[in-house]
Amino acid sequence: MGYLNNQVVTIDAILTKKGRELLAKGDGSFTITQFALSDDEIDYTLYNPSHPSGSAYYGEAIENMPLLEAFPDETQIMKYKLTTLPRGTAVMPIISLGQSNISLRQTAATSITPQTLNYLSGNNTFEPSGYTFTISDVRLFSNFTATGVNTAAATALNTNSTSTNGTNVSKTVIGTTLTMTATGVNTLFGSNNTLYATLIVVGRDSGARVQIPVTISKTSTSV
Amino acid sequence: MSFKSIDPQDLVISTDSITATIWSNNNPTLINYFTSSVQVATNTGQYYYSVYQTASTDSTAAVQFNVAYCDLLGSGSEFYNNAVTGSSPTRTNYGQYRTLILGDENAGFIFGNYSASYFYALNIERARYKEKLFPGTMTMYLSGSSGKISLTDDSKVAASITFKDAGRVFNLVSGSAGTVFTGTNTNGWAGGANSTSGSYGWFLPDVGLILLNAQALSSSIALGGIGLLTSRSFDTADNNPARIVDSLKIAGANNFGWTLNSEETLSSDFIFVRARNGEFNYSENPSFISGSTGAVLYNSFINNPTTYITTVGLYNQTNELVAVAKLSRPLPKDFTKELLVRVKLDF
Repeated sequence: MGYLNNQVVTIDAILTKKGRELLAKGDGSFTITQFALSDDEIDYTLYNPSHPSGSAYYGEAIENMPLLEAFPDETQIMKYKLTTLPRGTAVMPIISLGQSNISLRQTAATSITPQTLNYLSGNNTFEPSGYTFTISDVRLFSNFTATGVNTAAATALNTNSTSTNGTNVSKTVIGTTLTMTATGVNTLFGSNNTLYATLIVVGRDSGARVQIPVTISKTSTSV
Repeated sequence: MSFKSIDPQDLVISTDSITATIWSNNNPTLINYFTSSVQVATNTGQYYYSVYQTASTDSTAAVQFNVAYCDLLGSGSEFYNNAVTGSSPTRTNYGQYRTLILGDENAGFIFGNYSASYFYALNIERARYKEKLFPGTMTMYLSGSSGKISLTDDSKVAASITFKDAGRVFNLVSGSAGTVFTGTNTNGWAGGANSTSGSYGWFLPDVGLILLNAQALSSSIALGGIGLLTSRSFDTADNNPARIVDSLKIAGANNFGWTLNSEETLSSDFIFVRARNGEFNYSENPSFISGSTGAVLYNSFINNPTTYITTVGLYNQTNELVAVAKLSRPLPKDFTKELLVRVKLDF
């Protein structure tokens, strides 16, 4: 007879850059109300369902791997979320943006309307709860707004979505269509002619995620 | 769905007290004391001396505490203006600490049974003590011409706590680590119960301040002092703070240092993350699928998927990631497993 392990796994959390920003605002937006789990760093090709020692060893190469510490950059962590789907799911939802990157000149605007493949038995589906759009550096846009979802959470996020506070922080909005306008501020470029950011789109129902690079090119006429 | 609401009962706020040594590099006892000739020569040197744990020119040098001499009559330093007798940095110091601690311009510093018109103020650098000093942990050795004494606060034996404008006030008494010396002086004060010089001073943990009664320290060793000579010349820079630093140095040179801990209140959120058997069994990880069709990597994953949890993300109502925690190793999750993780978030 042995002892059963009754210990609860305990881990220490750190604030993200966004968390610090919201905590500093002091307007109640920091309040933690939900969680998500992710499998960042896991390579499922290491899972071996043909392991000669049996099913207890299928995940041997994954379960013993050391993990990195948490990153405070909210755009670089929680990339691949675990999702709750019906048992028997054979294909995972995939988000389609219709483009693999976004290139804009200063003050130019563009819109994106994502679709989700392999979700709710449809080939191309607009998720009912919409999508979260996260840009890694909000300073690069004079306008970053989403429309099409009218929930309280979407309204709270989309309010003031066009304001930049001068710091390199991410910005998240909720909707079915994203409209973004590249900044006209030349000083952000410094001695460079191009600015870079990443856009992350996550389906709020499916959990599907896609990330694409965004490039802003400097024009000499902008002020 | 990727997000799961946290049940209000799964979020607990806890407050813990954290104690640590106050000196740099987690050194429990300070035995080396250095001043900066540059700082002493500047205007601030007329008010206080900064004390470092190593030579002030060393790259690791950090101010540990400051020593100020305070005098009601303005003695021990040059007057600001010869036309105004008594108005000097030491008088300014006295008024500053009187306002801070007593909050009444008519009040005086009474150490035990002695009303003091001059004393030394040792204020600990804020970065060292963090929130407050931890009463009952101090042992400070001072050496002088009459010998050596060790001082501590009487928080462990005080019948009640005295509060002033600067918070809690304890008497500095003879002893160590909060244990009051009861050998010859039953109350631990210099000169015993009939002392004419009172206690050795005050210990004010909430503002990181220690006041040393110069009169008590000037007594002979037989009366509980160390023969510390405090000079009270008019309109003369007597550099009295250096006398306290020297007293600490002499004791430290014989490995009798200054031990003191800090106390910090740390508020933590404990969030219990529960993943039920039917939840979080599929992944959006690119390696979980094969090709661009979205098909799961292995056929066995269709009915018996296994995911590996490495990260817990905490979100606000608008899906913004505000805190994140990593596990030390991947935890497998499938339709036969449930998970309970306690996430601790310190503020």
